[in-house]
Amino acid sequence: MTDIWKDVLAEIEQIVPGAQFSTWFTGSELDSAENGTVVIGVPNVFKIKQLQVKYNDIIKDALIHNGIEVNSIDYKVSATTKSRNNRNTIPPYPTTNETPATIKESRLINSFQTGLNPQYSLDNFVVCSNNDLAASVARNIIDAPGRKFNPFFLYGGPGLGKTHLVQAIGNELLRRDAGLKILYTPISSFYADFIKSLQNKKGDEFHQKFKKLDVLIIDDFQMIMNKDASQAEFFDIFNDLYQLNKQIIVTSDRLPNQIKSVDERLASRLTWAGAYDLQLPQFEDKCAILKSKAEYRGIEVEDEAIEYLAENVKTNIRDLEGEFERLLAVADLKGMTPLQIINEGYVSASRGKHDKVVSAKQVVDKVAKFYQMTAKEMCSKSRVAHIKNARQVAMYILSKELGMSTPKIAAEVGVKDHTTVMHGIKKINEDLKLNFGLRDQISAIREKLYE
Amino acid sequence: MEINIVQEKLAKALSIVSKVAAGAKAQLPILNNVLIRVDDGKVSLTTTNLDMAVVSYLPVQNSQNGVVTVPAKLIAEFISNLPRGEMVKLSANGEKVVAEAKGFRSVINGALADDFPELPEIDESKMMKIQISVDDFKAGLSQVVGAASVDTTRPALTGVYFNTYEGSLYLAATDGYRLAERKLAERVETEVKAIVPVSSLKEVLSSIGEDVDEIEILLDETQVRFNLGEVEITSKLIDGSFPDYRQLIPKESDITVELDKSEMVRVTKLAALFAKEVGGSIVCETKVEEEVFVVAAIANEFGENSSEMKVKANEDGKVTLNSRFLLDAVNVLDGKKLSFGFANRLDPVVLKGLDGEKVIENYVHIVMPLKS
Repeated sequence: MTDIWKDVLAEIEQIVPGAQFSTWFTGSELDSAENGTVVIGVPNVFKIKQLQVKYNDIIKDALIHNGIEVNSIDYKVSATTKSRNNRNTIPPYPTTNETPATIKESRLINSFQTGLNPQYSLDNFVVCSNNDLAASVARNIIDAPGRKFNPFFLYGGPGLGKTHLVQAIGNELLRRDAGLKILYTPISSFYADFIKSLQNKKGDEFHQKFKKLDVLIIDDFQMIMNKDASQAEFFDIFNDLYQLNKQIIVTSDRLPNQIKSVDERLASRLTWAGAYDLQLPQFEDKCAILKSKAEYRGIEVEDEAIEYLAENVKTNIRDLEGEFERLLAVADLKGMTPLQIINEGYVSASRGKHDKVVSAKQVVDKVAKFYQMTAKEMCSKSRVAHIKNARQVAMYILSKELGMSTPKIAAEVGVKDHTTVMHGIKKINEDLKLNFGLRDQISAIREKLYE
Repeated sequence: MEINIVQEKLAKALSIVSKVAAGAKAQLPILNNVLIRVDDGKVSLTTTNLDMAVVSYLPVQNSQNGVVTVPAKLIAEFISNLPRGEMVKLSANGEKVVAEAKGFRSVINGALADDFPELPEIDESKMMKIQISVDDFKAGLSQVVGAASVDTTRPALTGVYFNTYEGSLYLAATDGYRLAERKLAERVETEVKAIVPVSSLKEVLSSIGEDVDEIEILLDETQVRFNLGEVEITSKLIDGSFPDYRQLIPKESDITVELDKSEMVRVTKLAALFAKEVGGSIVCETKVEEEVFVVAAIANEFGENSSEMKVKANEDGKVTLNSRFLLDAVNVLDGKKLSFGFANRLDPVVLKGLDGEKVIENYVHIVMPLKS
């Protein structure tokens, strides 16, 4: 292509005077030539007009002389300047936060309003030890919706990929069968719509709309707490769909029986087919996530840079990805590689909030709050089981997260003796092996600490 | 071709368009010329340097249709030196243009209009249109242009980024060391992402007439046009991607102090005098106990300087900055006071204007600290 264009230019140069030639033709290139349609790239919009108006015939003749079929010539701004340094340009990338624009796109694609964001796919969901079980269930559902894993109840802390995984299921199902009626909705929109339908006296219509679905995906189910009427409506819809073997997918940040005011029958039905959780990723998982993200975007990022972020961002995947985006943005801005930026120290600073040292008092307060008691109560001498348990969790977290010594912990939680602390930590350690509920509680408290 | 027009009007229009005529760097001599076109009483003067083009429209009496080009700088200077208030007559005779006023006459060698480049047209199918008040546009633009880069190896940073985000139109510019962002208009219905060369914007700023209240901005994928009443400026857009800068602006800073703007300008200038030897680097520090904000510079050769401002800070902190960047930023902030936010040695410093106690939210300027 380049060689042909060189020949074409050489011929044009014979005809067009020197100054004119260098003004109008410098930097031009032959972009494509197919079936008689030739596209010429020109570095500047002002030059396009000139080529069109004054030189079109000359260009056409020269192209034909060089053996290219020409019916029409299109000009576009493209430029040698564009191909400069690809590292510097960050292509638009689907971020984990849905944007209104892309939701619109998805609605355009499917006449039925699915609420799905097409950017979420299984291809860009990185499977690793923290989520492999949930991911394999997801694949199973895609192969056989409404069968073995119905309902699919997925839970875990914020930013671990719940929304991504369930939307990916929806998108993949839709890709395989465009006729499926799929609806993704956060529970908050569900009850907002429900209330609206009641106000407009269209409650029945609302119910019918849901009954027609093949797949219902409900996000952030925990928000249903204390919304009894909506819950009853959801329960009805759930039963109807379930009986018709329609796939139901529900996400939540905790197990249904831990959500206040959720009907026991509903809670148990939601977990009929098991409850699957997403855990905080390990170091290796985090590296894998970032590597796949870099690969997806076709950007080279040094391993050291990835390891640095994986080691230092401790909260969740959303923050990890956010930090990664920021690093790439700074690198782009300064025209350096990500590792250079880290070595320069620019990123460590903006990540400060995750590194913030959590004080012992904060731990005590957060644990007490989590178990719905005051810090004073928790740090009393009470031997009531749930208070004692909270106290021991606090000891455990103080030791694990802050690395405090047992005598210091004793002072913080108001026990006399550091051996009591040692006993408490040991007990939690043992309980953790068997008690999954406790594990969830502790990881939830950890997340809250670094929020 | 013939025009009869009052000297001031012609001189003003020529002075605007002649600045854009390419000058000595043009390989094509015709790019030094202004194209004068008369079409049924409407006169337009056009110049271009192939990065941008300016057209100025003039109302005239007694004209005859025709078109010609003449060297822009020469005719602009000739007309501007004629006595004010006189009627000027321009007429073409082949490639020559005769300019006459009472007692003055000159013949200028021009060129035929055929060689003058045609200007690109905005692609109407992809066109986006924004209307904005001149005052907002001027104020907003002057707050961001200073932060743009002059380094042509990174073309995307040599422009101002017009972009819409959540329904509002923003202007942003950065050179990699500082960044300025100004919200220009809310409830903008179109989606815009365009990098406009600073050089073109400067021309726009200097060409806005006093009687213009609103300007119209038309954009397609490759060019932008500013309609400024009688003047119309078309510029190419910079082809490239602007950094995803929103992530770089810290949402909040650990340490924030409120400072008097004029005092801040003074202490920064004082420190800058001593900072010359060390590349302009000055240290800003908050001291909670002493209730002061200290700006200091140390230069081995000249000595040292340190100034204090009384202020209540929530935490002790220290940051090293380039004095020129800091001064540039403080100078463009609105309000008599400003908020200076930072977190630690390497976090970006966030500067915002204050209206009384209230933060002026439409503008933010961040400066990257120097490593100390």
